[in-house]
Amino acid sequence: MTPLLSFRDVSFGYDDLDVIRSASFDLETGTCTALIGPNGAGKTTILKLAAGTLHSSSGSVLLNNELLHTLALRRVARTVALVPQQLDVPFQFTVREVVEQGRTPYLGFLRGPVREDRIAVDRALELADVSGLQRRIFNELSGGERQRVKIALGLAQQPKLLLLDEPTQNLDIGRQVELIDLLHFLRAEGITIFASIHDLQLVEGNFSSVLLLSPEMPLMNGTPEEILKPSLLEKAFNCPPRRHPMLLERIHRQEKRVG
Amino acid sequence: MAPMAPAPESPQGQVPETHPYGEQLPPKGRVGFAMLVSLLVVLLVTVVVLSLATGAVRVSPGAIFSALFGGHPLTATQQVILLQIRLPRILASAVVGAALAISGLMFQGLFRNPMADPYVIGSSGGAVLGACIGIFFFSQLSLFGFSATALLAFAGSVATMAVVYSLARSNGRTNVITLLLAGFAVSTMLGYSSYFFEAFDSGSGSNHLILLSWLHGVIGIPRWTQLSVSGVLLLFAALVAIPLMRRLNTLALGDEYAHQLGLRVEYTRIGIILTGSLLTAIAVSLGGLISFAGLIVPHVARLILGPDHVRLLPVTALSGAIFLVVADTLARSVFAPTEIPVGILMAFLGGPFFLYLLRKTKRSYVL
Repeated sequence: MTPLLSFRDVSFGYDDLDVIRSASFDLETGTCTALIGPNGAGKTTILKLAAGTLHSSSGSVLLNNELLHTLALRRVARTVALVPQQLDVPFQFTVREVVEQGRTPYLGFLRGPVREDRIAVDRALELADVSGLQRRIFNELSGGERQRVKIALGLAQQPKLLLLDEPTQNLDIGRQVELIDLLHFLRAEGITIFASIHDLQLVEGNFSSVLLLSPEMPLMNGTPEEILKPSLLEKAFNCPPRRHPMLLERIHRQEKRVG
Repeated sequence: MAPMAPAPESPQGQVPETHPYGEQLPPKGRVGFAMLVSLLVVLLVTVVVLSLATGAVRVSPGAIFSALFGGHPLTATQQVILLQIRLPRILASAVVGAALAISGLMFQGLFRNPMADPYVIGSSGGAVLGACIGIFFFSQLSLFGFSATALLAFAGSVATMAVVYSLARSNGRTNVITLLLAGFAVSTMLGYSSYFFEAFDSGSGSNHLILLSWLHGVIGIPRWTQLSVSGVLLLFAALVAIPLMRRLNTLALGDEYAHQLGLRVEYTRIGIILTGSLLTAIAVSLGGLISFAGLIVPHVARLILGPDHVRLLPVTALSGAIFLVVADTLARSVFAPTEIPVGILMAFLGGPFFLYLLRKTKRSYVL
């Protein structure tokens, strides 16, 4: 089976600054992958490369075994949706009006939205559980509500691959759990999930695989058990392990198992 | 009589709309679309008839209506005054108003900013400069039936927009402050550059008068041919604008997001700039520099109807037409027999509104 998305020796830099150096990995259909790494390691860059918003300076990004940058924009937009960290909307657009924009890749040159598009928007609103907010003004929503509406906007594209940039950022723990539940639900709906996550505690048990991106070491890909090792995280994040509760807890767990 | 129990309904005495999801009421202040458009059409016709009736020679609106519907015909003098003097001017102001309002809507959408309008961002200044060059150097020239003046007005508008836009953009975002400053600088430069033409004008001074009326924003009495060409161009630009409106909604999410949704951002942007500039050129060629019309109309329409550009297009076009017909009627009748240029009247009406907007948008629009 060919992977849904694969990076082959992908490098990328802004001006003179190399951000991604020779990254290679595959995302299989139906998986739920977390992208972790320290600030500035290039997590957002990886997601933008995967969505086709940025083009790699060398190497290739393959979507269903085809070179991403050779595909028509609209075709990519029907397969991959990127939920950005921040969405600034000028003017007082309602939630529904914002989510309707997700249908853009399906509209013709002159053809506006039809019944099919309205159904897709209804479905996206329902999946993200924001149907009740659809007439509200997007700019007046709370952080948690906004996050779900952004996901609904991505879902309106009916993507096979949903990329999320820090979906749990700025959410309280209750909203974080709701969001993780939503990701489980979407995965069950057959959508492949690839999300950058800052909060490592949310990774274990919720993601089937983990990509560790760090300037200190080459890109690593594995199961949560393989990647979330204190020794590895210490090096990747340049963090003294006994100073962070999560790493400390893992060290204790390891010691207990050994002892 | 027993005291009334407090009404459980809303103050209007209507039962609020209920939906399975609860929070389904339209956001406050948003009005039904079809009703609004038909209301505006009726209002436009009424305003045109009232404006026809206004002037030194009074013709009652009733007489105009009865003549329209085959009743009592008007006298020959009245016909000349209405059809050859008032009507062309009223229709010209309607065309100018609609063109300015649509181009204001398009530029506001493109820049993702409610303070852009053809006057503020220098587009109409560019059109005036282009038109000046046309008047002074190529007044006899015409290409495909369009006068060189009109073509140069269009070119001037496009060129200015391209300059202001590229100055205001960095890293794929439009910096609002840079935009307003660049627009201000460019339109001031263009405004004063017109005076060079005056200084070096060796002619009889008729060019000078044309120039002056343009800078002040005077809607003259156009010839019917000029009016019909402008009307056709307005219709053409409005038709081209229809598919662009949906894309303006997508562009509201930002260029990068629009690109990611499969929109060809560059082409769309060029289409918007060209159409907006064409509309500006239409307005300038009929009425010169008229400020604020393109700013106020789309803004108020957005407050009433919400920001969906597709629905805003017909509403702004009609309201712009109504607004300028009213303004021009006031401009020619308030201080009668003296006329004040409608551009100057608009500056007095629009200035305070713009300041109010500046004050208010500090909170509502954070980009």
